[in-house]
Amino acid sequence: MSDLLPYLIGGLANGALYGLLALGFVLVYRATSVVNFAIGEFLLVGAYLTYTFALFLPLPLAMLAALPAAFLFGIIVERGFVRPLLGRNVVAVIMATIGLASTLDGGAQLVWGPDLKYLPGSLPNLGFQTGEIFVSSRAVWNLLLALPLGLGLLWLLRRSRYGILVRAISEREVAALALGIPTARILAGVWGVSALLATLAGALLAVASGVGPNLVFLGLKVFPVAILGGLDSVGGALLAGFILGILEALSQRYLETVLPGFTEALPFLVVLLVLLVRPYGLLGERQIERV
Amino acid sequence: MKRREFLRKLGVGSLAALGMPYFATAQAKPVKLAVLLPLTGPFAFAGNAGREGFVDGVDYVNEVQGGISGRKLELIVEDTGYDVAKGTAAFNRVIARERPDELLFVYGDSTGLSKALAPEIARMGLPYSATSFANELADPKTYPTIFVFGPTYNDMMEALLRQIRLQKGRAKIALVYSNTEFGRDPIPYVKERAKALGMEVVHEEVTPPAFTDATPVVLNLRRANPDFVILQGYALSAEPLILRAAREQGLQAQFMGTYYSAELALIQRAGPTAEGFIVTYHNAYWYDTLVPAVEEMRKFRQRKGRDTSYRPTYYMGSLAVALAVAEAMRRAAGAGKLTRAGVVEYLEKLGDYNGLGLQRSYQFVNHRLPYTKLYRASVKDGRFNAITDWIKLA
Repeated sequence: MSDLLPYLIGGLANGALYGLLALGFVLVYRATSVVNFAIGEFLLVGAYLTYTFALFLPLPLAMLAALPAAFLFGIIVERGFVRPLLGRNVVAVIMATIGLASTLDGGAQLVWGPDLKYLPGSLPNLGFQTGEIFVSSRAVWNLLLALPLGLGLLWLLRRSRYGILVRAISEREVAALALGIPTARILAGVWGVSALLATLAGALLAVASGVGPNLVFLGLKVFPVAILGGLDSVGGALLAGFILGILEALSQRYLETVLPGFTEALPFLVVLLVLLVRPYGLLGERQIERV
Repeated sequence: MKRREFLRKLGVGSLAALGMPYFATAQAKPVKLAVLLPLTGPFAFAGNAGREGFVDGVDYVNEVQGGISGRKLELIVEDTGYDVAKGTAAFNRVIARERPDELLFVYGDSTGLSKALAPEIARMGLPYSATSFANELADPKTYPTIFVFGPTYNDMMEALLRQIRLQKGRAKIALVYSNTEFGRDPIPYVKERAKALGMEVVHEEVTPPAFTDATPVVLNLRRANPDFVILQGYALSAEPLILRAAREQGLQAQFMGTYYSAELALIQRAGPTAEGFIVTYHNAYWYDTLVPAVEEMRKFRQRKGRDTSYRPTYYMGSLAVALAVAEAMRRAAGAGKLTRAGVVEYLEKLGDYNGLGLQRSYQFVNHRLPYTKLYRASVKDGRFNAITDWIKLA
């Protein structure tokens, strides 16, 4: 077990990041039915924002400063790209997010250049060793920041007035409007929170591995996580993030030596298997449509 | 002047006046070199540095060396986004647009793209090279017009294995490589060669080309407990993560890498954990001021008002290709053979040229340049320092 534990801790730390990113993705999908293909780019922009603030501020402050900036960025995206298309065919909105992804990729390169950036400074080292088990500082920070934030958001959605309004809009937007709920403002807020979550994930990644266009690849991980958890389940996104993180770690430990490269395909294989049994994901809401 | 004589002179004069521009245009027809590079996407940092090397090289050829025997060398640049489909489209666009007697060399991007284009390139008889050092491309029997401007990945591995043998005879080796053509290319060779040299490959780890957590990789390495770890198929994103995690977890193995890891950004990103990292590299570094090309290009860039601070290895590699291709074109033009076949012929005869010291020489052996040096990262100096002279690999 002491041999396996470091793998599991690493898996949980990765899972926390997957969960954080998937949370932002699911939140938007649940509130607006928009599949945001630009979620990887949200993460990229967030990482670059953190890098920019880190040029002037100590790293922890830079990470904090990047969050409201990311929230604002999410609102701008919603106002500029999404709101004009609301009420149109959902495919149009999806295509817009694909276009947005390309625009953000190109825009990020124009603004920050093609060179890989590394953050000046680092977060305080919280890594420790107990016996044979080493827990990296990265793992501690991931869990320390992602877990309370994810659970807090879940609580807010379940219990707070704002959360109830979001849920009401996601249930039936027209009825919510008729009841006087400020739908436009709340949906803009949802996009803002999604960008904020992606930025926190991006900042944690940037601290560990620097910033470069390859960060968008983590955006691809969102899809298996969100589908596994259930596209409309916020709690499912968090849970699926941890499940996939741990499964990847187990695969690294036991399968990688006999099946090199298998871990890369594992998330998609798991999703395929789970969908055969539960087409709406682990915690997704089963929808019955009259045809 | 009699009327008949006047008319004759007028006629000759008119013809000359009408014909001269065409004649002059034919004389000034440019020679073209097309480069397909990842100017956007995950390898944009390398692609843009490479583009800069080609721009400088071509400007230098035109402004200092007088072009290609009086003809201007023209550079065509296309973006591939490090995507085979996009790269193939860019290649087809260039081929459709340019005349075969003007477009005399194409430089492509990545092992995947080069392997995809190779049969078509062979069919067209088009001189070609790429950012890739894949073994399959250095095969003049199958691909008579493709050149690898450096050692192949197999050659690079050979150089590393020789160094391992020097340091510790029967060593235990681990291979960590990306699940890409770039990563997998030399693995069968290194496994076979290590065995032949009495070494043991104790672990193989295949990863995505970019990842964010090296903990499981290093945990697996710790279990295998190798003396040496060779990284292949990464371009600066994964190596610092692995090095940092390895040192954090007390792994004592010696880490090694190949050409695309030999960039100063690795030392900057990995910090103190980069100390001692050994790489293969076969061009000059920008700080090798004793190399004539470096001094020359510093002065040239200064004259042009361009930034003279450190230029990355990808810049140096592109510059080395541009100068050598121009030299082969110049020699082909001198022999009245400035055609695609002529460029191939004179690239094969370029053994007495060394690109102002950027390469040991352009003596191709099976269409690749089997020479490299080994460098060791020094964190104190913030650079890679040579630990060997040129190693001949064929």
